[in-house]
Amino acid sequence: MIDLSLTEDQRDCLQELVNVAMGRASDKLARFLQTFVHLRVPAIELISAQVLPQSFAEAYADQGVSMVSQGFYGERGVRGESILFYRSHDAQGIARILGYEPEEATEVEQLTDISSILTTTFLSGLAEQIDNHIGYSAPRVVTSDDTSIEKHLQQLSFTWELALKVDISYQVTDYAFHCDMVLLIPGEAIHSFQQALDNILNEI
Amino acid sequence: MTEAVLICDDSALARKQLQKQLPAQLATNVEFAKDGLDALTRMRNHKFKVVFLDLTMPEMDGVAVLQHNQKEALCDKIIVVSADIQPAMQDKVHQLGALAFVKKPISNDHLVDILKEHGIHD
Repeated sequence: MIDLSLTEDQRDCLQELVNVAMGRASDKLARFLQTFVHLRVPAIELISAQVLPQSFAEAYADQGVSMVSQGFYGERGVRGESILFYRSHDAQGIARILGYEPEEATEVEQLTDISSILTTTFLSGLAEQIDNHIGYSAPRVVTSDDTSIEKHLQQLSFTWELALKVDISYQVTDYAFHCDMVLLIPGEAIHSFQQALDNILNEI
Repeated sequence: MTEAVLICDDSALARKQLQKQLPAQLATNVEFAKDGLDALTRMRNHKFKVVFLDLTMPEMDGVAVLQHNQKEALCDKIIVVSADIQPAMQDKVHQLGALAFVKKPISNDHLVDILKEHGIHD
């Protein structure tokens, strides 16, 4: 049995690590976009991967969704799959945020560009704080109707046991976009995370 | 009586980490605030030697605290400690009267250098 739960101290610790990692990602994004990114405290939640397909299918039921999926591999059992979810409306606005001309890059390329900045900067920032190093596989874009998103998530939730949900909202000077980031991780990775959090907590 | 130090951060971990990094003289007399509103209330009631202020917080963020502080002249030594490390944000807090900007996670040497530079610690 995997203990899903984090203690209050572990949760507070993880939240702070996420805040610092998100700050790095925003800074990278702001430099890339040459604009100011307004940062909000990201809400984090640890849930069972099994409930993920349904919960996301429901959350995005009203509109199309695009997903960018990217694997990551670290040390001491820290590995998993990072997924960024964009509502179609937001995905279309990304070209404007990125300052691309309509014919300059496809929507898939735009999503890949912005997602790799967010995912790799965020995860590398998180890993650094728990003394780990992370490598990445190439990102994959899944843009389609809700049914196949649910199917894709179902396949992923067979492989992974836990999901760390991080709600990210970015307000870029004159344009708002929202995306959800989900980190799917196996049971042994959460043990490694818990150990790393305890190490930090024991130091203070 | 020495004036207290105020540490304002919504994370308990960040508050404790910062207190631990302070030189011993300062670390013994510390008050904590868990968000900007809490900090502002305390700053209106007490004169603090130095205020360490996080930016991204619920209730009231650090930028709003700096704006109020500028209007009410509550404390002239505010050091921002934040994960929001964008250059534009660093410029903004300096314009709002912050003494210095410390990036999270904090390095102990850097913090002590800043305290010395501004005559808060010798």
